[in-house]
Amino acid sequence: MLWKNTYNELIKIAAKPRSYIGIGAITLIVAIILFAMKIDGLNFIAFVTRPFEQSLSFEGNILNGNLIAFLVLQMLIIHVPLLIALVTGDLVSGEATMGTVRLLLTKPVSRTSILVSKYLAGCAYTFVMLLWLMFMALIIGKMLFGTGDLMVLNVDGLTILDEKDVFWRFACGFGLAYLSLVMIATLSLTFSCFSDNSIGPIVSTMAVIILFTIISNLDVPVLQKVQPFLFTNYIVSWRNFFDDPVSVHAILKSTGVLGIHIVGLFSVALYKFNKKDILS
Amino acid sequence: MKSGRCLVVCCVFLILTLQVKSQNSANGYLDAVYGKLEKVKDYSVQANIKVDMPFIRMIPVNVKIYFKQKGKFKVESKSIAIVPRQGFDQLSGILADIRMYTAVVQGEEKIGEIQTTMVNVIPLSDTSDIILGKFWIDPVQKLILRSQLTTKSNGTIGTDYAYGSQTSFGLPDAMIFSVDVKKFRIPKVMTSSITAEDKEKSKKSTEKKKGKITIILSNYKVNTGLPDRVFEK
Repeated sequence: MLWKNTYNELIKIAAKPRSYIGIGAITLIVAIILFAMKIDGLNFIAFVTRPFEQSLSFEGNILNGNLIAFLVLQMLIIHVPLLIALVTGDLVSGEATMGTVRLLLTKPVSRTSILVSKYLAGCAYTFVMLLWLMFMALIIGKMLFGTGDLMVLNVDGLTILDEKDVFWRFACGFGLAYLSLVMIATLSLTFSCFSDNSIGPIVSTMAVIILFTIISNLDVPVLQKVQPFLFTNYIVSWRNFFDDPVSVHAILKSTGVLGIHIVGLFSVALYKFNKKDILS
Repeated sequence: MKSGRCLVVCCVFLILTLQVKSQNSANGYLDAVYGKLEKVKDYSVQANIKVDMPFIRMIPVNVKIYFKQKGKFKVESKSIAIVPRQGFDQLSGILADIRMYTAVVQGEEKIGEIQTTMVNVIPLSDTSDIILGKFWIDPVQKLILRSQLTTKSNGTIGTDYAYGSQTSFGLPDAMIFSVDVKKFRIPKVMTSSITAEDKEKSKKSTEKKKGKITIILSNYKVNTGLPDRVFEK
């Protein structure tokens, strides 16, 4: 029954035009980035290598598909949550807006099962979004720019990873990026349980992301104590897989913090949905 | 009074004579070194490059290096490789045009067990990129064991040379470059790093540091008549 419900929820997501906004936006943005890199990518790279070029010269294919994929993911991964919230923030409140929630709850299944189905459908949508982003960045990037070693741009320098050592890092990075996006999906679903219209949860999710990102970026001592607890700090944790050596501690910490957020927020959503008075 | 004047004239003459002699002998050392290098019309060599730089982390890479007189140089690499800009062609370039420089013997110094002669090279022209070149020359083997080139464009790079299979051509089997790396900071927009650890790393990365690049050269193929198309990009 759970899988049938989840399948139904997936059909609902697929039927809504807004579900394609995110995929369309990713396609357009990545296409623009790939075009810009094809035309002027070497100047972009020179901006990074310039401090070294006084005494060193870089040989080999630096501007390759792996670097492009890394740059695209880096640029977009902090914006994708906003596109995900467009759909996941509407999962419960959208039913209330359309007046179908009463009908939905007359089904002979528990409210918990219904919410879990919606959540699984939201997670599947998030997966498709991220998979599309990876496809555009990695596969199309490699088709246009070829392959080669990956030059990772870190705040403290460059890490050059062997081409053969890159794929597993992308795969694991994909996993951790997915976890952080699932966390965003959980947040918007939770807001969705508190609201009877779609705009509220979507805007609230965006507001929380923007607020937390600003706090994470502020270099003020009083805020530094709070920063480790903000989930926005961990949205870019996938980059830890591209450190050499891989910072296992940072990855475990990120996974832990995101996991706690997911479990905590989903528990709140379950509690609220089970106790919710259906008035629409 | 008369004897005093004579003494001054003698001293000036002696100084000038010594300076000219020093310059002649410095040119002699450099000519002897270049005499060996001049025999090399072209070469290709396999190189293993190990980079030990404060702001760069990478595993050693294997590349193939091509060189042809005059000044044709190419590094062929499937991997990303980092090569010192003053690495291979600049030294022979200086030695080839040594008449464009003033060379002076500065003294002697031991490198390992070998007694070397230090020769300083200063360009005659104001427009030269090179500001100062220092060479530690083994006068017996006629080889440069250490060099330090200071240029306007590339800063200072020190190089230690080790010889083996191609001593007769004056081509080294290993080179160790010491490079100054200026402060390094990538714009935040290019890293998207917002964690506290990243901020800490960013603060640490601003100091000026020294790096080392070790190049092990093997499988030399000298004077095989490399065609010019090898150097086309």
